[in-house]
Amino acid sequence: MTHTLRRWTGALAACALIGLAGCGQPQPAGGRDHVRIALNWFPEPEHGGFYAALVHGYYQEAGLDVEILPGGPDVPLLQQVAAGQVTFGVENADLILIGRAAGVPVQSVLAPIQVSPRCIMVHEESGITRLEDLRDLTLAMSPQNPFYHYLLRRVPLTGVTVVPYPGSVARFLVDKNYGQQGYVFSEPLLARREGARPRSLLLSEIGFNPYTSTLFCTDELARTRPDLVRRVVAASIRGWQQYLRDPAATQRRLQELNPEMTPDVLAGGLEALRPLVLPAGSRPESIGRMSAARWDELLAQLEECGVVPGGKTTAAAAYSLDFLPVPAGE
Amino acid sequence: MKRRWLPPLLVLAGGLLLWEGLVASFQPPAYLLPAPHQVALAAFRHAPALLGATAWTALAAAGGFLLSMSLGLLIALLFSQSETLRRGCYPYAIFLQTVPIVAVAPLIIIWFGTGMGSVVLVSFIISLFPVITNGTAGLLRVDPALLDLFRLYRASRLQVLLRLRLPHAVPYLVAAARISSGLSVIGAIVGEFFAGYGSGRQGLGYLITLTSGQLKTEYLFACVLASAGLGLVIFWSVGRVGDTVLRKWQEER
Repeated sequence: MTHTLRRWTGALAACALIGLAGCGQPQPAGGRDHVRIALNWFPEPEHGGFYAALVHGYYQEAGLDVEILPGGPDVPLLQQVAAGQVTFGVENADLILIGRAAGVPVQSVLAPIQVSPRCIMVHEESGITRLEDLRDLTLAMSPQNPFYHYLLRRVPLTGVTVVPYPGSVARFLVDKNYGQQGYVFSEPLLARREGARPRSLLLSEIGFNPYTSTLFCTDELARTRPDLVRRVVAASIRGWQQYLRDPAATQRRLQELNPEMTPDVLAGGLEALRPLVLPAGSRPESIGRMSAARWDELLAQLEECGVVPGGKTTAAAAYSLDFLPVPAGE
Repeated sequence: MKRRWLPPLLVLAGGLLLWEGLVASFQPPAYLLPAPHQVALAAFRHAPALLGATAWTALAAAGGFLLSMSLGLLIALLFSQSETLRRGCYPYAIFLQTVPIVAVAPLIIIWFGTGMGSVVLVSFIISLFPVITNGTAGLLRVDPALLDLFRLYRASRLQVLLRLRLPHAVPYLVAAARISSGLSVIGAIVGEFFAGYGSGRQGLGYLITLTSGQLKTEYLFACVLASAGLGLVIFWSVGRVGDTVLRKWQEER
């Protein structure tokens, strides 16, 4: 989540999408289905498993010809998928629910990152160790992010000046009285590399925990090509297992695609990511699972803090468990 | 008066009807393109937030605009006095025109922090160039015969500047003010993307970020209309002041 240059292009690009529907439908190419997966950000460890599936040929083995399209700030990803320009997208669960509430017919089919990496990064010197203790500092967050509204609602934030997220850690480095949003495996590592002593406070610790980097597609694709969706999901899970087991080749690819991610940052990032993909007690075979209870809870939270108007969508419409592999012995 | 207002109103009504008709016949999803009545409803529902945000943005834009006019004129005066200075600095003034503000704005925030000051500064940077370039042109493109006349009467440099060059530059400066006023609104909104005013005080840039990120497209369109409206009001006010100045200027000639 670095170098955001927030541009006012989302709406324009969305308008440009009208009438382009249909061109991203999977096309059989040389016997393989051509599938385009668009990311919600520049390639970073949170997309590692998808790249691993590509780098190690798992998609190919599943009869898929996959192309991964890196994202960036304000790419209208949900709209692109809904318009059929790309076959799948990778986006966080809260954004999927926002999309559903706005009428975008997409659903999540795989949730590789179980614990949200979203954090507020403060300086160790501030003495702040819990989100509840955030006070008397400048806090940079993007207002379009649902966690922003959740935090504002749950934590008093006495004496806190909320400012827009500048897209880098530069300001953080020069101001000890400054905190900012981040992903635990990205911003804190960049800040540490520059000599700061950051402390990450996870939003999941105060209960806001959307599945992260979920794979999603249109309702139509899920209905008409369930087999294709199942193959993409299965190969992606293999990719995530491989990324946690032996990441070397994937990390090299990520670094080529996003030079900002130096090898040390990528290595540290993977270590921070590992417990989020595999929380204590879970096994590699169960990577990607989702639970109805968590989707329900997330929707209730978004409605509570006014991000999603009540009654616009049900949680059940935003995901499907049909494409996850049936675990052995169940 | 009626004649002046009628054509734009007709164009507006026609445009809205066409838009409403297109949406009604093609029925694109509202998150891609809402109908005008949906936008109007959103604007009505969020009127307090919209008006508050517009007021903040207006304040920042006005600050940026006034700074541009005063500092721009000062720079133009200096440029008109020394050819060396002009030749040396003008290429860098052009830099202001071409600098991608989205790249520089984050740095401004790092250097100067968030808050009204930084938003005004971004607005100022974006709206400064037309004042420098038009002002300099106006101060320099003086009838050589008149210059000779002033020289003949042994007018001082200051007299030439105040009595000949400055009055001559007035129409140029009025034109610059019109261009600059619209740019100052854009600058303020871009500034707000990166710098806020602090908790609770939110400009249009904040609302645009929020609504586009959360797919609240009707509300987003309402924000865009509010910024367009703000631009029009500022442009119109500057135009009125400009007209008055020009009329006085012509009478004095």
